[in-house]
Amino acid sequence: MNTENIISQSRARFAHEANRRLLKEKYEAKMLFAYQGGMWRAGPELLSTINFCRITNDAEVVLLDLYENPIKVNTKELWNLAAARWQEQMNAWHQEFEESRKNR
Amino acid sequence: MSTGAVIFAFNNEKIDYVRLAAWSAQNISRHLDIPVSLITDSDVTPDGFDQIIRVKTPIAGSRWFDDIGSTVEWKNTNRVDAFELSPYDTTLVLDADYIVASPQLHYTLNSLTTDFLCFKKAYDLTGRTTGNLLNTFGQHNFPMSWATVLIFKRTHLSKIIFESMQMIKNNWQHYRNIYKIDRPTYRNDFALSIALGIFSGHTNQVDFILGSIPTLTPDVELKKFSSDGYELNFIKNNKPVWLRIENMDFHAMGKKHLETMIENS
Repeated sequence: MNTENIISQSRARFAHEANRRLLKEKYEAKMLFAYQGGMWRAGPELLSTINFCRITNDAEVVLLDLYENPIKVNTKELWNLAAARWQEQMNAWHQEFEESRKNR
Repeated sequence: MSTGAVIFAFNNEKIDYVRLAAWSAQNISRHLDIPVSLITDSDVTPDGFDQIIRVKTPIAGSRWFDDIGSTVEWKNTNRVDAFELSPYDTTLVLDADYIVASPQLHYTLNSLTTDFLCFKKAYDLTGRTTGNLLNTFGQHNFPMSWATVLIFKRTHLSKIIFESMQMIKNNWQHYRNIYKIDRPTYRNDFALSIALGIFSGHTNQVDFILGSIPTLTPDVELKKFSSDGYELNFIKNNKPVWLRIENMDFHAMGKKHLETMIENS
């Protein structure tokens, strides 16, 4: 590495705006998961839908997955998977975002 | 029912694609836990592959590579043969420069309810490419389907899609005229996009892999900082900037930078 490169790299700044978008894309992708042969996105929308099904005391219901295929699911199992993934990934997103804010 | 990945790798005078593929195969095995086969014309036998499938050197075109700074031979035209060449019932086809750094594709492979999938969208990780530059092609701005990552089952439906791609490849000048594609070089992405258009009755109502391909344009320099962490260095608004990505798959279009990173890691 020549001197010019070293000077250039020392002057390099962290791309905050690109990083913000990158984290959004990264963690939105990480919200996707497979269950019972269907694809699901963990998040408030799915959790609310499952909660509604649980109010009606349905242990097993048929929901459309992200590819719009009807999938028979156990509401408790799906809720547990979706809630765990959502919390885990949102926490990781928050942590990485806070860490990245320290970069110059 | 077998599931595995295949990587096409044809070296040219500037880029050692087989080496990229061998490095990529380690990442695929680690994250997706599936066998990886290499499709190549090379005599070398790198470790880490389930099978090495030797084929004739495909007809070469030429393509400008920003990271190399010259036009080089580009022998990436036989993706259409993936259906015939793959030894697996369910195949994941990856570009040699697609870096698997997470189990994300494992979930897609595990919930496959359709016979053929690819990505519909890509985005520039550095945020410098705006609009639809990565997601359309030709003067008509026809929607792009990316051949960078393909998942297919060995079924009649998949066969039709690959046969359509072959027809487009065989009549490339004709399709180039119809879709008003400026560059003469045949591209797998364009052939796949046109084939899926034909297959869907020009509605493009087919299933795609969820999400978009995180993409690095060829000028972005890469450094590894952890087993699945990469630092990106690039110029934005005439100033040097950097970013870090970790546990995230991406498409590194700068083959030379990728090769340098592998050499240094």
